[in-house]
Amino acid sequence: MKYIQFVNSVLRNKIQKEKNLVLYGQNINAASCLSGLTRGLGDVNNGLTINTPNSENTLVGIGFGLMLSGTSSIFFMKQMDFLLLGLDQLVNTYNIIRQNEPKASFTIFPITVDSGYEGPQSALNNLNDFCSIAGVAGYSFTNKRDTEQIISNYLLQPGFRIMSPSQRLLREDLLDIEVINQDKDCCYFQYEKGKDVSIVCFNYSLPYGVILTEELSKKNINSSLFSVNSYLEFDYSYIINDLQNTRNLILIDDTKSRNSSSDKFLKNIYNYCELDKKIIINRKFSEDLFFPRHDQLEIVYQSVVKKFCS
Amino acid sequence: MQDQKQIIEQIIRLRLAQILVNERYKNGDFKIPIHLALGHEALAIAVDRSIENDDRLVLSHRNIHYNLARMGTLREAMDEYYLKDMGIASGHLGSMNMSNHKRNIVYTSSILGNNLPVASGYALSNNLNKKNGVIFVVTGDGAIEEGSFYESLVFMKSNDLNTVIIVENNQWSLGTKIDERRCNIDLDKLADSLGIDYISLQGNDPFEYIKTVSSCRAKSVENNAPVLIEVKLTTLGYWYMKTQEYPDGKYINYHAGPAPEVEMKKYPLISSSDEDPLFVLKQYLSEKELMDNSSKLLKQLESELL
Repeated sequence: MKYIQFVNSVLRNKIQKEKNLVLYGQNINAASCLSGLTRGLGDVNNGLTINTPNSENTLVGIGFGLMLSGTSSIFFMKQMDFLLLGLDQLVNTYNIIRQNEPKASFTIFPITVDSGYEGPQSALNNLNDFCSIAGVAGYSFTNKRDTEQIISNYLLQPGFRIMSPSQRLLREDLLDIEVINQDKDCCYFQYEKGKDVSIVCFNYSLPYGVILTEELSKKNINSSLFSVNSYLEFDYSYIINDLQNTRNLILIDDTKSRNSSSDKFLKNIYNYCELDKKIIINRKFSEDLFFPRHDQLEIVYQSVVKKFCS
Repeated sequence: MQDQKQIIEQIIRLRLAQILVNERYKNGDFKIPIHLALGHEALAIAVDRSIENDDRLVLSHRNIHYNLARMGTLREAMDEYYLKDMGIASGHLGSMNMSNHKRNIVYTSSILGNNLPVASGYALSNNLNKKNGVIFVVTGDGAIEEGSFYESLVFMKSNDLNTVIIVENNQWSLGTKIDERRCNIDLDKLADSLGIDYISLQGNDPFEYIKTVSSCRAKSVENNAPVLIEVKLTTLGYWYMKTQEYPDGKYINYHAGPAPEVEMKKYPLISSSDEDPLFVLKQYLSEKELMDNSSKLLKQLESELL
């Protein structure tokens, strides 16, 4: 099964149990249904499904208006950069609505366009930046377990959040690895427990971390493997405990943001851990970021293993 | 006749309440910005009178007239302006975002055009849940320049939403008049192009306003569609500033803050023309009756604030 098919199936299961839900967005019930993300959701939705006009600012405000009146909704978007047009609502309206505990749910569900070749508009195309502007809860997911947990627990929970799958992963085979521990609020998931190094993956970088874990194990290096799925700060103590044991960190972050949650994490751990080794793998920013280029994070695993062993 | 008397009293009361706020404002009492709506009273009373139990009102930064009209008291609003715990929103919203769920004011935004999408969402929820009721949303000639105005009209019409959009056209956005900042926007033609009914109001006759706003509400319900009302009015409190360059005085429009030349009077008329709803009331009651009413209402308001 492909990643996008699984995301779609979890959405279907969740949505079909709801009575009065509004699903809306451009082309959500037409043509490719946002690359398959929303395929068939209109068929199982007992509420209202709307193919909307192209008016992102208004569409974000509509979700808040629905929420204010007690109706839950999901606004699906083909590309996260379209959400830039809704920033006023995302900040100003949310800051008013959040003052009273809302009874209804509003989830914006855009696709993070991290597959490259999109050009200037995809330079700001990540949850870090959107979540930070008004302290909005945000979740990404990369595999079977975190997708299931996050969508099941948070898609329709009263309140507001942004959830986003990765375009880069849409057509990839679904990653299915066991979770050995997870945060109660789905801020992070742990997939491996090891004594030699803690690999902490941010944004959509868990697939890189899985490969790196395998490469390190060939050298008898046992890794703890974490994925951080939340974009706001949370209680890092469990991961810090792991780092205090391993004393070695490999951090992977494939975001394009200069305001990354991994920076906040690093600031926190420096107060609590003395590290023997620290390898940070993230994007090197250059002018190329603004052009239609192949822009995925490239990792030469053997070099990382060599650097760690040196 | 009794109803007519009450409506007239409501309008005078609304003017007096705003002048009492203005007096404190001139005194430097408030830390927050307040946008007075002197000259908007007839419209506010018309909206208040047209709203039914299941209706909701969505406002913008200049909202004092609607909030006071709906509240019927001044105390809680005044406390909110002072950011006191006893304020209508416990001092959390101040003026530009003041709402009052108990009196059907469900959302107020300080950002131009921001409230129209929220009103659309509220109306969509009404449709889905088969609730009666119309969403009234108030905006202005500045906000209709925002994309959200057009986007929301398209959405409201496309989804058969029971909404009444009220555009308070006072010509001004901050310190620029329409002809200083943009081309003309013909709302009648714009509405027509979207298949939306359009009504224009001016003259500040409260009884005509009540009749028209109520009929627009009925039309929205009957057709399951938005109705657009453009109200041409003047925000009073403007003054003329004499400078070397303008020895006869330069026109300064009122936008926000205290209105320096507006003062409490026995009958708080600001302008002797139909730009002032209190002037229009003179065709319904004698000057003595209006003054007696005004004195009585002022005493009530002052005792409320003690």
